[in-house]
Amino acid sequence: MKILDKLRNIFEGKFRDLLANNVFKLFDFSRNTNNVIELKDGQKLSLDLSKATDDEKKKIKAEILDFLVQEENDILLTNKSAEKTKKIKRNLPEDKDKELLAFYKDKLKPEIYKALEGALVVRRTYQRGEDISELKRDISFRYPEFGNNLCNLVTRDYFDDYFKELYNNMVEEDGFNIISYQDEVERIIKSLPYMVFIHRYKSYEEFSGEVKFKLDKLRKYGTEKLKLHGLGKENVETALKITNEYSKDDRIFIEKYFNSSKTIITIIFRFLRD
Amino acid sequence: MNISELTFDEESKKDILELYGKTLDDEGFIVEKDNLKQRVLTQKGEEIHIEEWGGIMKGSESFVKSDIFSLLEIAKKLNENS
Repeated sequence: MKILDKLRNIFEGKFRDLLANNVFKLFDFSRNTNNVIELKDGQKLSLDLSKATDDEKKKIKAEILDFLVQEENDILLTNKSAEKTKKIKRNLPEDKDKELLAFYKDKLKPEIYKALEGALVVRRTYQRGEDISELKRDISFRYPEFGNNLCNLVTRDYFDDYFKELYNNMVEEDGFNIISYQDEVERIIKSLPYMVFIHRYKSYEEFSGEVKFKLDKLRKYGTEKLKLHGLGKENVETALKITNEYSKDDRIFIEKYFNSSKTIITIIFRFLRD
Repeated sequence: MNISELTFDEESKKDILELYGKTLDDEGFIVEKDNLKQRVLTQKGEEIHIEEWGGIMKGSESFVKSDIFSLLEIAKKLNENS
């Protein structure tokens, strides 16, 4: 227990009873009530630098922090970042996802590839039932134009199927250029021409309008289907409500796919082009 | 390489920065204490706001950010070593 030994050296007899104990599993820098060293939660030794003398601070830096970081090659993180790193490590791409990344390396623009790697971690984390909100927020913050859309597309397997198929089709064309594939992927991710993802940050009217707008466009110029995705009971209900608007339109065929607990829905609007 | 068993909380960030001869400028970015105009950069050349600061690793006291992309690089290195 190297940190404990070093603390005993630094504080030279102070906190003798506390530091004689060998059961500490965790150490952190945080604010204490009274002393520079205190026991918290039964097994965590807390160091409050604001209560340390200048000499104690110098020694903590030299004998503990520099030792850990420079000699032991430890990574010193905040409590939150330590937990977040462990979560990411648990959910690093493996097997199929590693193959996916290998497929897309050199096929996507670097920033989209990077976001894809992050989104695969998000997907795995979500599938294991862990919270993804901060991870997803990081991706959206770094890539505001497409981060959130890309996460949604990854979660719904578009990179496993659709974008692979798109590449395989485009590569067969005469004069194929990888830049055109990259541009097309970017265009689809940013504008989502044939899909709508229902979420709680927009109103029903906005989604209804988006579906109508895209259906009208696709009907005239695009493919024969629009996909509507909803995750979570509330979003599933919104998606179904929007679908009801088209129940009497005999030029539109509607297919609905649910998971067993009806918390994930994909609705496909198939329509005849004008 | 491991995540240290020693961590720090949000309130202690400034204390740790002081130990490393750093402070914050008016906008909350980490800067050198002896040159307030010199912002500390990550290995990728990014400035670091106090709220985005995640920790320190080896390599001329390399400061890391707390976002998924920064921590993903660390997670991958930890995975290679385990």
